[in-house]
Amino acid sequence: MQQGAQAALKDGAAKPLLVEAIGITKTFGAFTALDDINLMFKGGEIHCLAGENGSGKSTLVKIIAGTYTQDKGTVVINGRSYKELTPAQSMAEGIQVIYQDLSLFEHMTVAENIALGHLREERSALINWQQVRAIAAAQLERIGVRLDLNQELREASISTKQLVAICRALAMNARVLFMDEPTTALSGREVDRLLEVMSELKKAGLAIIFISHKLDEVFRIADVVTVFRDGRKIGDFPSCDLNAKRLSYYMTGKEISYPKYQRISKAQDNFIEIKDLCKKDMYSHINLGIRPGDILGCIGLLGSGRTELALSLFGLNQPDSGKILIEGRETALKSPSASMEAGIALLPEDRSTEGLFLERSVAVNSSASVIGKLSHGILGFFDFVKERTLALSGIERLNIKTTSERKLAGELSGGNQQKVVISKWLATKPRLFIMDNPTVGIDIGSKAEIYEQAQSLARQDMAVLLLSDEIEELTANCSRIAIFAHGQIVEILDEERLKDPAIGSYIAAVVAAGGKQGTAQDTAAAGTYNPKEGRA
Amino acid sequence: MRIERSEGILLGIILIYAVAVALVNPAFLSIETVFDLVRTSSRDLILVMGLLLIMLSGGIDISFMAMALVSSYCATAAMMQLGLSSIGFLLIFAMLIGVVMGLFNALLISWLKLPPFIITLGTMNLFHGLMATLVGTRTFGGGMLPPSFNAFGSGNLIELESEYGIIGLSLSVIPVVLVIVLTWFIIYKTMLGRGIVAIGNSEEAALRLGFRPLLLRLFAYGYIGALAGLAGSIYICQVNAVYPDKMIGEELMVVAGAVIGGTSISGGKGRIFGALLGIIIIYLLKSTLIFLGLSASWNNLFVGIILVLSLSFTAWQEKRRNERHLLFKIESR
Ligand SMILES: Nc1ncnc2c1ncn2[C@@H]1O[C@H](COP(=O)(O)OP(=O)(O)OP(=O)(O)O)[C@@H](O)[C@H]1O
Ligand SMILES: [Mg+2]
Repeated sequence: MQQGAQAALKDGAAKPLLVEAIGITKTFGAFTALDDINLMFKGGEIHCLAGENGSGKSTLVKIIAGTYTQDKGTVVINGRSYKELTPAQSMAEGIQVIYQDLSLFEHMTVAENIALGHLREERSALINWQQVRAIAAAQLERIGVRLDLNQELREASISTKQLVAICRALAMNARVLFMDEPTTALSGREVDRLLEVMSELKKAGLAIIFISHKLDEVFRIADVVTVFRDGRKIGDFPSCDLNAKRLSYYMTGKEISYPKYQRISKAQDNFIEIKDLCKKDMYSHINLGIRPGDILGCIGLLGSGRTELALSLFGLNQPDSGKILIEGRETALKSPSASMEAGIALLPEDRSTEGLFLERSVAVNSSASVIGKLSHGILGFFDFVKERTLALSGIERLNIKTTSERKLAGELSGGNQQKVVISKWLATKPRLFIMDNPTVGIDIGSKAEIYEQAQSLARQDMAVLLLSDEIEELTANCSRIAIFAHGQIVEILDEERLKDPAIGSYIAAVVAAGGKQGTAQDTAAAGTYNPKEGRA
Repeated sequence: MRIERSEGILLGIILIYAVAVALVNPAFLSIETVFDLVRTSSRDLILVMGLLLIMLSGGIDISFMAMALVSSYCATAAMMQLGLSSIGFLLIFAMLIGVVMGLFNALLISWLKLPPFIITLGTMNLFHGLMATLVGTRTFGGGMLPPSFNAFGSGNLIELESEYGIIGLSLSVIPVVLVIVLTWFIIYKTMLGRGIVAIGNSEEAALRLGFRPLLLRLFAYGYIGALAGLAGSIYICQVNAVYPDKMIGEELMVVAGAVIGGTSISGGKGRIFGALLGIIIIYLLKSTLIFLGLSASWNNLFVGIILVLSLSFTAWQEKRRNERHLLFKIESR
């Protein structure tokens, strides 16, 4: 407590010390998630926590929010020290968290989700629905977003949900706001808006703690960056002293670079050929061929039709017209099992809800896609040894941070859960692997590992369709890139074009131009910002 | 009032069915049928309100019929011992005993962290067994019960002359309406109710907002206990006899009613109107078998069919919604 007071004095009144963590240690069984962490969060400052997946960022947040209790150490909030903090105490001190999993109520409306926490904090015994709507409307106004207050949350898109979670935290009079990867599902414009909101909140004197694996966001917004590695603090750095290279070095302890992918396959016939594929309101007249060994990148703004096309290839979104040829034969991909039969696998964008059984072990999860192959004979004896081997090879290849393959998937860190899903699909040895934003929420070291995997599989003649928003990742890993806009392919860049060092800025320009019409319309029509439903 | 699509379909089914029965047997279309339906379904209309709250909290309770039997039986036995005769004592005793059993359920669920279905399956037998060994198993026939029981059970709120004599709307409609209004108030107008809905949606998220699941659960299970006491009392007054083994075995019909009415088995979602419709449709089927000249075993068949249909409808709606949002459950082979 005294330490806290001194530090506050040193810094002067401009940036009051709000939260201080002193010697925080947290273990899960024999595993140390946090080791003697000392940290200070000040009002009027945006503080980023950076570190690899599983380095303990979310665990620290949960301790300060009172959902986990530390084994050793003290949390000092507004000058009061706590050895054991309850969620209620933490909230009463003005601490709010937007969790990685958002923690919203699916069957309630947008308005109620925003207002419920506020009303509960005020200890109101009765509910006045007019007040509920008023609170929600006020918070949405504050961040300049217009949403349908009466929409049931499960009907809402993931980006709407993230905005709701933010409004809920603001409604609860937050003085310290933790945001654990709040931008994973937001599109470029929405991210811009959110960062603007964050700077406004900072001006209002809030302490904002921001966790993100997107380094460009970190550099745009952070005042201070604290780097974690394996549960230990590497250091606090003013963000002006850092650049992407140094930051990733601090995070991983090694230099990260993306090796440029070179297609070496001799095969010239397309594995899959898409001819004049159309689906109303989603995409139209798509012509595309992918050869074995191709890594074909797709980039485009929200609503460009990429994800919709990917889902069609996986039998989940029936096209209206057009043909799909697989190895020259016309094939109807009517269901996921038909697509899997044809050798196609899909890593979906919304992995948290779709890919994992959180209550089951990592081993079960990583072999779930090949379960049929693990049973033998008519009695269907299950091959546990093989299951374990598969899991171990996945853990090894993608560097999944887990104490053992028997750990429950739900106990892994957010990014490591995603790696389990990726390894599960790689286990099917697909001929065409569709990856929809595979590195969202994944730290930069592991990004490189995932792409290395994709590249080495492509060298063994797997075809990859890579949907991503990060130009740098695309240009490094793709042998061709298709630029999408408004449901159409506007340009396909071949290997020769991709050798041009200036190609990155060219792609950025085309993407932005493709989206220009849409942006202009939106702004004119609404005057306010309004996130679109559906995803790119 | 907003009517959900699934509720609209249920209303439609009820209407078409009623017309069909009336075509076979015109005697069906009378106010008497309605009065009769209200009287016989009173017990389950009350119980389903408690069950709705439990299912909103993400739980389930199948011990409520046992609680209804045990509480009304014990309350009657106690009144006979003490020589009390007022209907008020019956209601108060039975509801208190019900609350105690309900709280016991909630505590077990919170401590043992086992699925509520298993726990209430256990306590259902436990409560009944305790009653049989500690209080007894004799039947209290109509002649032995205080006359106030029968007066309440066969009393009417409204009476009409008809060609077959006097027909009336049972007094039990009063507690039914009170319970519906109270449940509506709890669910939609109190923080308590919203908290219960919140833990049913996501207990983790509710905890993080500062809700206390244990307290909310105590309330929900205590509430269905109290309603079980009330419903059991109404039932024994209507039958004008107390048997030590009635009611038990009928709980799943009420659960079916709630589910038919659109209450989600996984918690957090359900509406009063739907749950009421679900019970009404079951009683409508039950009571019209005579009109159609069918045996009682047809009842199970009909209820089964509607249950399967309504579950399929919910699953289909869910699938449609997911498709609209390009969300797909990717199943492995
Ligand atoms: N409830 C739990 N039980 C067991 N281990 C846990 C639990 N919660 C977290 N861990 C472990 O603690 C470590 C740190 O997890 P944490 O979620 O804090 O990582 P993170 O830095 O937020 O990573 P990411 O960037 O992937 O979200 C992980 O290795 C994780 O497996
Ligand atoms: Mg995390």
